[in-house]
Amino acid sequence: MAMVSTRIRLVAAAIAFLVLATVATPVTAQQINPTADAVKEQQLLAQFKRIEGLGTIPDTKSYTIEQPQGRQWREYQEVALPWIGTIAMLGMIALLLVFFLVRGMIRIKAGRSGVNIVRFTGFERFIHWMTATCFILMALTGLNITFGKLALLPLIGPSAFSTWSLAAKYAHNFLSFPFVLGVIVIFCMWLAGNIPNQVDVAWFKQGGGIVGGDDPPAYRFNGGQKMVYWLVVLAGTIVAVSGYLLMFPFYGTTIVGMQLAQMVHGTVAVLFVAAMIAHAYIGTIGMEGAFEAMGEGTVDLNWANQHHRLWLEEEQARVGPANLERQPSATPAE
Amino acid sequence: MRAFLLACLAIVIIGAGGYFFVNSMQEPSGVAYSTEGARITTSWAWRSTGIKEPVTAREECEIRKPWGWIFVDFGKPRGESAVCRISQ
Repeated sequence: MAMVSTRIRLVAAAIAFLVLATVATPVTAQQINPTADAVKEQQLLAQFKRIEGLGTIPDTKSYTIEQPQGRQWREYQEVALPWIGTIAMLGMIALLLVFFLVRGMIRIKAGRSGVNIVRFTGFERFIHWMTATCFILMALTGLNITFGKLALLPLIGPSAFSTWSLAAKYAHNFLSFPFVLGVIVIFCMWLAGNIPNQVDVAWFKQGGGIVGGDDPPAYRFNGGQKMVYWLVVLAGTIVAVSGYLLMFPFYGTTIVGMQLAQMVHGTVAVLFVAAMIAHAYIGTIGMEGAFEAMGEGTVDLNWANQHHRLWLEEEQARVGPANLERQPSATPAE
Repeated sequence: MRAFLLACLAIVIIGAGGYFFVNSMQEPSGVAYSTEGARITTSWAWRSTGIKEPVTAREECEIRKPWGWIFVDFGKPRGESAVCRISQ
């Protein structure tokens, strides 16, 4: 009898426990008391969408700890942006690799004439390299923000990554000044030659001499170069404005504004990098004689005739064919 | 090559100029976000001295009577949310 009574008590206790558990389970779905000691961060976020507190410093913005836009921004920064960057940059590299394997280097069809003409002045090359060098360094240090934690941190460890990232952040900030100056000077310096016209339309229709066997005429800057010019000016302006909004927090922006600025900055920057990879390709291994224009400042006469025939005619008309041919064929000092 | 080297030199000079320019404008975060007084937010000052201000839904802490401010750091406020205690 005692055993039966014990069993009954056990069963009753089990039923009581189950009833309590059933009653207790829906607590999370009920109204949450945000000040309860046991409340969890996720519960607060689920109900209030943002977590705020009170502070004792004048900066009331610091009282907001978490807010919905912040989580959306973090999702974009951690997931979407790395994907966009990876697809854009690796996609561009893959495309160029295939193009190079199929098309190879674009050669000077008539061969080198041995006569060089001035393509870019020393000042133009100085500005170009100042902007380009800043761009490369800023690309590397900026990509560290998006990809460093994924790609570099596992390789070099947290201590080295922290030191590198701090230095990269400072470099990124301060290199922005010469970069922006370079973009401004480039805009002013080459604006006249980069206004789109009918020649560019014909140039594009004929594949720009890159696709197909034609060598469409062009002035000093062809349609492709004008695209690069406007890309540099517009994308450079966007990354500069959005970057300075981040560099000077709360000067005319709020948290939400800076999150938007960061998304714009990161997205435009990775696309900018992808486009500049193509620019670097065509300026180096993609086209014979192209690098000399920015390296030494001169190009071969046959190169100019093949790729910028109208510009060559203008130059010949301006200084005379005899003067053109007196240009040195090499400039060792440069 | 000369143009490139000059460009590198210019980058260093302009970058260093930017460093000093920005440094002249900015304050270290330890200075910018610090305060000498422990209770200098206006909401706190008004609330502590008993002058009523509109209570927002976000901040439903008890508004004390003028005589009660001396007890502000003692005891457990009745019916107030915990966050009010934290702020005190």
